[in-house]
Amino acid sequence: MEIVIQALVNGILFGTMYGTAAIGLSLIFGTMRIVFIAQGSIIIFFSYLCFWLFTLLGIDPYLSIIPIVLVALLLGVAFYYGLFKESAALQDRISSLLIAVGVMFVAENFMTVAWTPNPRAVVTTYGFYTVRLFGIHTTLTRLIALGIAILATTGVFLFLRKTLIGTAVRACSEDSEASSLMGISPHRVNAVAFAIGTGLAGIAGINFATTYSFDPNYGFDIAIKALIALTLGGIGNVGGALLGGIIIGVIESMASYYVGMGWAQGILFVIFILTLTLRPYGLFGKISQKA
Amino acid sequence: MANQLLEVKGLAVSYGDVHALWDVSLQVEEEAIVALVGANGAGKTTILKTISGLVRARKGEILFEGKPLNHLRPQEIVDMGITHVPEGRRLFASLTVLENLKIGAYIPRARPFFAESLERVYSLFPVLQNRKNQRAGTLSGGEQQMLAIARAIMARPKLIMLDEPSLGLSPILVKTIFQLIATLNEQKARILLVEQNVNQALKIAHHAYVLKTGKVVMSGRGEDLLANEEIRKAYIGGMAVKRKK
Repeated sequence: MEIVIQALVNGILFGTMYGTAAIGLSLIFGTMRIVFIAQGSIIIFFSYLCFWLFTLLGIDPYLSIIPIVLVALLLGVAFYYGLFKESAALQDRISSLLIAVGVMFVAENFMTVAWTPNPRAVVTTYGFYTVRLFGIHTTLTRLIALGIAILATTGVFLFLRKTLIGTAVRACSEDSEASSLMGISPHRVNAVAFAIGTGLAGIAGINFATTYSFDPNYGFDIAIKALIALTLGGIGNVGGALLGGIIIGVIESMASYYVGMGWAQGILFVIFILTLTLRPYGLFGKISQKA
Repeated sequence: MANQLLEVKGLAVSYGDVHALWDVSLQVEEEAIVALVGANGAGKTTILKTISGLVRARKGEILFEGKPLNHLRPQEIVDMGITHVPEGRRLFASLTVLENLKIGAYIPRARPFFAESLERVYSLFPVLQNRKNQRAGTLSGGEQQMLAIARAIMARPKLIMLDEPSLGLSPILVKTIFQLIATLNEQKARILLVEQNVNQALKIAHHAYVLKTGKVVMSGRGEDLLANEEIRKAYIGGMAVKRKK
């Protein structure tokens, strides 16, 4: 029993990372109808950046949140204006997907050249501390990762609810033409949504770097799981995306424990297909009614 | 001609090979309600979409307060003072009533007056104040139309373009909406109204244009058109009903 609970907890901890990635995907898809498949590789890129800052400059991974998130936000704006502006304006999902695939391959190969394909990890002195809470063992860094993910999600949620530009992002994801009639520039909103998406990738990258070892090819795997999480959560639902990620993490962890690692992926895809067929609007979503 | 607010000259629009408008000219004067009437597919909605920048003109000119609008984007046109309430209302269903109104006042010109505009909107539509924290998608049809108009007012426009505001509403609500349009006009808002409810539209319009397959076929004072036998036969059907009785 204890080992089951252990697997459950690990699943939740890992799942929040898929969840943060999925929220980014959700915002980018919601406003621009872009399936940003490169999200996972961007996450790993930030893991490497965190690794570099730590090994070359000795900057603590948690301190590197500030520079990494800043770089990530700027990268998102640059991605939008440099690569996706035209296809977003045309709502051309095929060319935007191809561009995203291109970004993914460029990022993967760049990382392979820059940091070799060998797995890396950020090895800190406190990385080995374990915490015992209610009879469950976990590492300190995983717990911190969970805390950071929850804080980041709450931050994004509040941004979308409480600020005017955040409200505009939501309005735009619902009806971009009507938003432009309200004077909202779609480009501005899209750039903001993209920046939040990559900003969350920065957060997830740090969480990943501090809890696991990683190599350049990990990104695609994360992106696929984030996509499944997004489908479970329902597009345009921040809380749903996080919850979807946690569900994915738990299923993966439990499946690995009961039937073996190899099956875990297969089970995830079966769930993905079942969700798409039976509840295409997500587990928690309603079919949004048009006003 | 100094008091023209909006002037459309020789406007032609096509969707691919299909011509939606041919050489349409019209004017909205200061302080007027102007109606565009005509059957489905006559090009009424296309005119509004072209003015608000959603659709590009193939030929012709649109002047607002003497300044050309043709090459501006929708958000710049809102900023100049034209707000378009599109057909089907197009509210943000998952946003609350208050959030919809906030988005209505999004343009920098309107933002500083948010509180003032909100007060005005609430006094015009008290029901919206009661429902301010409710999602727009949960409102009734009439309330949604009120919110759509309220959202447009929040942008402090000089000209409001209303596309089929009475569509899908009960006769009582239709009356309320038309009364409201008249009230707005008394409060200095100029209105360009597209309606299939020709009878009601002509009653309140100072000036009206009748469109048929993308062309203006007739224009004149609202009451004159209302009295016109041809118009009655084609669009109101008042005579036909009387004969049946």
